[in-house]
Amino acid sequence: MSTFEFLLQGLASAAEPMNLLYALIGVTLGTAVGVLPGIGPALTVALLLPVTYRLDPTGSLIMFAGIYYGGMYGGSTTSILLNTPGESASIVTALEGNKMARNGRGGPALATAAIGSFVAGLIATLLLAFIAPYIVKLALVFGPREYFALMVLAFVTVSSAFGDSTLRGLTSLFIGLAFSVVGIDQLTGQNRLSFGVPDLLDGIEVTTMAVAMFAIGETLYIAAQGNRGPETVEAVKGSVWMNAADWARSWKAWLRGTVIGFPIGAMPAGGAEIGTFLSYAAEKRLTKHPEEFGNGAIEGVAGPEAANNASAAGTLVPLLTLGLPTTATAAIMLAGFQQYGLQPGPLLFATNPQLVWGLIASLLIANLMLLVLNLPLIGLWVKLLTIPKPWLYAGILVFATLGTIGANPSVFELGMLLTFGLLGYVMRVFGYPIAPVVVGLILGPLAEQQLRRALAISQGDVTVLFTSPIAAVLLAVAAIALILPLILRARGRGEVLSQMAASED
Amino acid sequence: MSLDRQNSVKEQRRPDRAALAIAAVLVTIAGTIFFDVARLKGMAGYSQIGPATIPDWIAFALVGLAIWTVIAAFRRDFPEREHQEFGPVVWIVAGLIAQMLLLRTAGFSIATGVLFALTAAGFGKKRLWITLPIGIVLCLVIWLIFAGLLQLSLPAGPLEHLFL
Amino acid sequence: MKHVFLASLLAGALALPAYAADYTIMAPAAPGGGWDQTARSLQTALQEEGISGNVQVINVPGAGGTIGLAQFASQQKGNPNALIVGGYVMVGAILTNNAPVTLKEVTPIARLTGEYEAIVVPASSDIENIGQLVDKLKADPGSVSWGGGSAGGTDHIAVGLLAKAAGVDPTKINYIAYSGGGEALAAILGSQVTAGISSYGEFESQVKAGTLRLLALSSEERVEGIDAPTLKESGYDVVLQNWRMVAAAPGLSDEQKAAVLADVDKLAKSNTWQETLKTKGWADTYLAGPAFEEQLAKDIAATETVLKDIGLVK
Repeated sequence: MSTFEFLLQGLASAAEPMNLLYALIGVTLGTAVGVLPGIGPALTVALLLPVTYRLDPTGSLIMFAGIYYGGMYGGSTTSILLNTPGESASIVTALEGNKMARNGRGGPALATAAIGSFVAGLIATLLLAFIAPYIVKLALVFGPREYFALMVLAFVTVSSAFGDSTLRGLTSLFIGLAFSVVGIDQLTGQNRLSFGVPDLLDGIEVTTMAVAMFAIGETLYIAAQGNRGPETVEAVKGSVWMNAADWARSWKAWLRGTVIGFPIGAMPAGGAEIGTFLSYAAEKRLTKHPEEFGNGAIEGVAGPEAANNASAAGTLVPLLTLGLPTTATAAIMLAGFQQYGLQPGPLLFATNPQLVWGLIASLLIANLMLLVLNLPLIGLWVKLLTIPKPWLYAGILVFATLGTIGANPSVFELGMLLTFGLLGYVMRVFGYPIAPVVVGLILGPLAEQQLRRALAISQGDVTVLFTSPIAAVLLAVAAIALILPLILRARGRGEVLSQMAASED
Repeated sequence: MSLDRQNSVKEQRRPDRAALAIAAVLVTIAGTIFFDVARLKGMAGYSQIGPATIPDWIAFALVGLAIWTVIAAFRRDFPEREHQEFGPVVWIVAGLIAQMLLLRTAGFSIATGVLFALTAAGFGKKRLWITLPIGIVLCLVIWLIFAGLLQLSLPAGPLEHLFL
Repeated sequence: MKHVFLASLLAGALALPAYAADYTIMAPAAPGGGWDQTARSLQTALQEEGISGNVQVINVPGAGGTIGLAQFASQQKGNPNALIVGGYVMVGAILTNNAPVTLKEVTPIARLTGEYEAIVVPASSDIENIGQLVDKLKADPGSVSWGGGSAGGTDHIAVGLLAKAAGVDPTKINYIAYSGGGEALAAILGSQVTAGISSYGEFESQVKAGTLRLLALSSEERVEGIDAPTLKESGYDVVLQNWRMVAAAPGLSDEQKAAVLADVDKLAKSNTWQETLKTKGWADTYLAGPAFEEQLAKDIAATETVLKDIGLVK
């Protein structure tokens, strides 16, 4: 049978009414758990995996795919509406998405996120089906030095999320970097900055930091404004649906996000959030409406959401072709496969084509189901914003702490939540941007480890960092991204650039 | 941090004292890093970059940023702060602390219900005899859904044990 | 919203009927990993074999299991219904983290399963056998980069043991630690490192597909169905098993300990458990009671020595 026939066969079996019902249940459950800040798709899948064990392989694969997509989309919904990104990949979504929601454009923001996720998921799944073996060869070429160059590029590009002051943006970033060295050093097993506290040995959990800085810091800040703000936000201004201009601005961002996210997801140490950072930076550079960035630009939601979903499909490339689980979610999927005696690896496509194509078909169906379920619900979701402030923010704190407690029921973790919440509040008061802290916390260890691995392999020879063609190209792009704005500013376009870099919190 | 002082420093020409305090905090973080990783020197192995190297770089950068912040403080480059009301902040922080302390003994619903009520109080709904029961019942429903059905491990207390 | 909750209620009710509580198993790791899977497989098997009515699994992740272990030892003292899953990784983690609570403070019950360490090179490598690899290591230890799991973990310990057995200074090994099995495997497949070391299961499908060359295993004797020499027969006295165990709370009476041991024994011999081992690809290295305690003491002593040799423990 050819590739195409396998896919059609998989789609046919996935489209049976019973299987569609499983997809629906999966998407619903996934969304219900995924909306909790701090509980990302990986934990959602891990928690709900046992539910799928009771079904036959096809049914459970479909429900599993549904849970996965539901978990991812659930996170975006709360990021956009409540500014509570619960996992690293939806931090960028919150930047513009929440501004849109505040301006009564929550509907279009949710819609562009849902449709963008669908489009990206669709394209990326098809790419996975047809070119996975080629992509994976490229991904394996990436060694420590190439990753290090990629991290340098990411550092340079995320500086576009730094807000209007270079000083405060850099300070935020370095505060994040300082937190990132807490815990056991991966390469030597030595603990750093943990001061004998066992709970700090594994470092500071990114989700705890994100939930605290965004959800709790935000709540404190709003509360400290007293009665000056409006009692409720106007939930819908204009149409709840995307208008022609929204479509025109979204579709290119979806495609760009897909193109950026998919290969990064396919890289064994890429990470979904890096794709979202790069996509946001790209949209900010390419937009025709730079003045809207920081105030709710739809491209800033469309691109990163698409990148996030495309990179999620990208992580399946190494998983299915090599048996490499490169993310927490992929590792849990691997556990799921083993339930059917299926060992993902280089021979999987040859020995178990039905199941592989069944999974790919399931992902397509679940992706569609998510769209079908969520588009009609957008009207309902945005009504969340009309809840009066006392109840809304009390609810946000309940869910924010619920997510943290659910992931790790420890008093210490709640203490960190409070501490970082206060830090987030104080930073807001003084006009420091929040996102760079979390970005530093994510990118810091990645960059450090890859640099040290590269130099250990070369036994201390620094030139290897520049001698690989891929690394050289990535570093050159980073250098251009760093220098070009300076040149533009020198030529009198500084006005535009400082507008582009408006504060995001 | 000298949040409370921000109003007294309205006169121009004098350095922004809050900004100076921030610079001091940055230097303190840098000092902590220098101090803690000092014991890890000499573990670099083949890479020549040991567990202490990158933290040292970060700490140097923080010192640099602190100096920059001091300069900005004297040039009064920091934006005007909005007036902050601390009453609501205290209510909410009290709620979070109460939840933390009550979680193990009283269980999820009561602890989180208290957080709910105190947060609502921070936003002006001060009638705790109404908001507290609402919060606890709401959290109990959440507990039943997430812990009972979806098997999230949320601590159970006396209230939850009535249902399991 | 209503439909969302109704559907979740329905699905939940179908999947999870309520029982009265019995054994509580702590997995000192996040959901999804090896210990969590072991705990959840134990949960299923204990329930299906009717050994225990309702079994709950709680996850306490962190620091190679030492955080969960500390919490278990202090909170479950004298509780005959509390179990904890653990493994060899804990032995190293306790030593490198200088953890306040050690395995002496729980009651080891039985070793359930284990995996042997495998040394591999990419198929394109010019190294054909373990002897050539060790020769290269002897000539220039820095030129052999080893890709494996976290620093001070089982993989790192195995490389240290091999270096020592081959007469190479263990502090000179160029070990590149990766966070997950997947990341290390990618580095090996991409020829970023000279050789790779991990549990055989991590490499199995690649070895079968011919993309990795298996040089040696750390088992006592050759393993059936795996075409590779042991390190021991190759002249390097290194035997290492990355095992997983189950332990009970501290402070149990002899009768209570015997009761737990009897339950675990029944479980280990049950069809459900044997079936689980087979589907998960876990080797049955069951060892219970005093024999296990003796082996554990030996492992701890050997690990402490090698971690000191590598320079990770002072």
